[in-house]
Amino acid sequence: MNPPSAATPTQEHKAARGVNKGAAWLRSETAGWFNTEGQRWVFVAKAMLAAFSALWLAFRLGLDSPSTALATTVILALPSSGMVLEKAFYRFLGTLVGCAASLLLVALFPQSPPVLFIGVALWIALCTGGAAMHRNQQSYSFVLAGYTACMIVVPAIDAPAHVFTLAVTRVTEVGLGIICAAVVHDVIFPRRHAHAVMRTVQTRYAGFITFCRQVLERRLSPAEAELNHLKFAADIAALESGRAAAFFEADHARSHTRQLHAFNAAFMTVLTTFYTLHRLIHRLRINATAPVLDLVEPMHAHLARAMKPDLTAGQLARMRVELAEDITAARARLAAEPLEGRPQQIDFDTAVELLDRFVRDLEDFAALYHGLTREKRQQVSDPGAYTPKTPPAIVIASGFRAGATLLITAAAWYWLAWPYAANAILMATIFCALASSSPRPTALVQQVLTGFLIAMPLAFLTEFLLMTRADDFGPMVLAALPLLALGSYLSTGPKWAGVGIGIGMFSATLLVPANQMHYDVEAFISSELSLTMGVVVAWAMFKVVLPEHTMGHKGHVAAALWREALNACTAPLHRFKRRFDNRVRDLLSQLNAASGPAPGEAARSVVRQGLTLLELGHAVIELRQLIAASPPGPARHGLQQVVRNLGDYLRAPTPAHGATALESLLHAGTAVRAVLADAAPERRPPLQTALTDLHSIYTSLLDQLSTGEPHHAA
Amino acid sequence: MPREIDFFGILLPGVLPLFLASLLLQVALDSVLSHIGAYRQSWHPALVRLCLFVCIFGALLLILYK
Repeated sequence: MNPPSAATPTQEHKAARGVNKGAAWLRSETAGWFNTEGQRWVFVAKAMLAAFSALWLAFRLGLDSPSTALATTVILALPSSGMVLEKAFYRFLGTLVGCAASLLLVALFPQSPPVLFIGVALWIALCTGGAAMHRNQQSYSFVLAGYTACMIVVPAIDAPAHVFTLAVTRVTEVGLGIICAAVVHDVIFPRRHAHAVMRTVQTRYAGFITFCRQVLERRLSPAEAELNHLKFAADIAALESGRAAAFFEADHARSHTRQLHAFNAAFMTVLTTFYTLHRLIHRLRINATAPVLDLVEPMHAHLARAMKPDLTAGQLARMRVELAEDITAARARLAAEPLEGRPQQIDFDTAVELLDRFVRDLEDFAALYHGLTREKRQQVSDPGAYTPKTPPAIVIASGFRAGATLLITAAAWYWLAWPYAANAILMATIFCALASSSPRPTALVQQVLTGFLIAMPLAFLTEFLLMTRADDFGPMVLAALPLLALGSYLSTGPKWAGVGIGIGMFSATLLVPANQMHYDVEAFISSELSLTMGVVVAWAMFKVVLPEHTMGHKGHVAAALWREALNACTAPLHRFKRRFDNRVRDLLSQLNAASGPAPGEAARSVVRQGLTLLELGHAVIELRQLIAASPPGPARHGLQQVVRNLGDYLRAPTPAHGATALESLLHAGTAVRAVLADAAPERRPPLQTALTDLHSIYTSLLDQLSTGEPHHAA
Repeated sequence: MPREIDFFGILLPGVLPLFLASLLLQVALDSVLSHIGAYRQSWHPALVRLCLFVCIFGALLLILYK
């Protein structure tokens, strides 16, 4: 820019400043655009590159139905390279298994389509049930094994001899699509999932510390605290699935997996301890047992002050020393003026024990966190993967729904005698199976349906106005690009993702020319209609067949939580604590996924229930471990009685059983205290722990009985 | 090596088993390289991995189809 020569120096200066400001504005806007919209367009470009390279290769190699390769790349277009590779792997696995199953089925019943359909329906029911059980990308493998069999069997009904060719074609084309998608998404501008996982780890650490501080400073209402617990549960599940995706990326170390597992496990432990502590504080405040509160409150204040979002090991050590000093001071005060009444004394002991345990757990958690962020190799023992747990009723319902969908659409195909209804069978089965593992299946299918409806006229116009003019691969790409890019662009936003997937799948199935293209308006419209009909059927099935039996439904989660608590009393103890933790958190995370961004009162009451049962279960498991390690005697007998009575209560939560359990708790407490009075010093800590556990079981049971609507574990 | 393999009446390209074999080799090499942290030294780990795969596959082809 040349300022006019007559300009005075100040004017020139001003103009320069204006230019600078303009440039800075432009730069910040560009950077802003690049970080938000730009990323989406890069993704679209990658998806299109993968799609058309797969298509070109399929044409070049003369494969039978190039659209399968294209559809595979559309399905595999996911935001990060780890996710793409993971899904690609499981897709290939599922396709192989599905093809094998279809070969077997056709070989068993080549002459009798009704029996064949029943066989396929059973297979799909089995696979969809398996998918509902897993809910991660492994579940995708199950879904695929189910509907691939259907995809191969349906066209093979008239010509069973061709089934092998069909299967081989399917595997080849899916393989081709997978290779293209994996290479493009992994190599060109990759977005590594490992970074996302580390970001999750960091936000969780900071989030948890902030949460603790807010609770200790009494700045959170119980409702907010419950929501926080729900979010943390979802976070634990998300970290595990993120870790599984990052596993497929280059530069992934096995020790890192172990560290992340340990991090998750330590987080669950510290979260449970903190919840128990929180409940105790809450009870103390409600009961206004002022002397105990006076003694404990300064410790909380000190802890809260020491909690900084980036808590380091040094700070933690100081915190621990401070807490020990506080405890000694409180004990000294207590010796000077003893508390009146035994309950208050027990409350104080429990509070101190819990605070101590909380700081210890927090220290473990922080050590793992610092190991992860500084990329230090830590020698940690793997506590085992986070294992999801779906209530069995939902698993069975998903399987049943998918099988029924197949049989109903197949019957409709037979009675309507409309050849294109085969498409409807496929679509209905695919979406019934896919949406089964989603928390809100109807919403998902509805979005896909919207996508299909939007794509219908657009695909028609593209096919007959643009595709007919394409005389080579290049023009054909240009013709198909707008619609596919639209679908891929929409699928990057959270709000329209399902619609985008719908548009992408619809156009990938219909637009692509076969090796010998013929343009037939009637056939095209029939295909469009039948594909859309299939999705409508899937939607109707979710609305009609067992609509309550979907992932994370409140009633099922509540019942499953009670069952888990009962398991804590009866199941074999080996590695049980971790499994129990996993399962309860997983049920809560399902609840979180199903209840959306703002859970209602009903969902929150299930969370409260779940957290109480979690606390109870932990205490029971610890008691059982103590029982297993302790010598026979009155204390051990009393504890065993407690576990037995609690089991009865959890099996049938009636007030009578509750009263029996409470009574046995009091008995056991007396017995343990009697033993504690003249126990050897090395026997004292476990007995103290037993007392704390008895106390926390007692109080949570009281809460449960006073507020507890007699939730029956149906 | 045969150019095509007869698999229950379907002719599969002969390079397919080689492709699978090089995938297996690649997975083994990959875990070793991740373990010693070699990828951390590279600018683009995914590209390194892909190139290693191409090298393995190419070497196998050159050796067996000379």
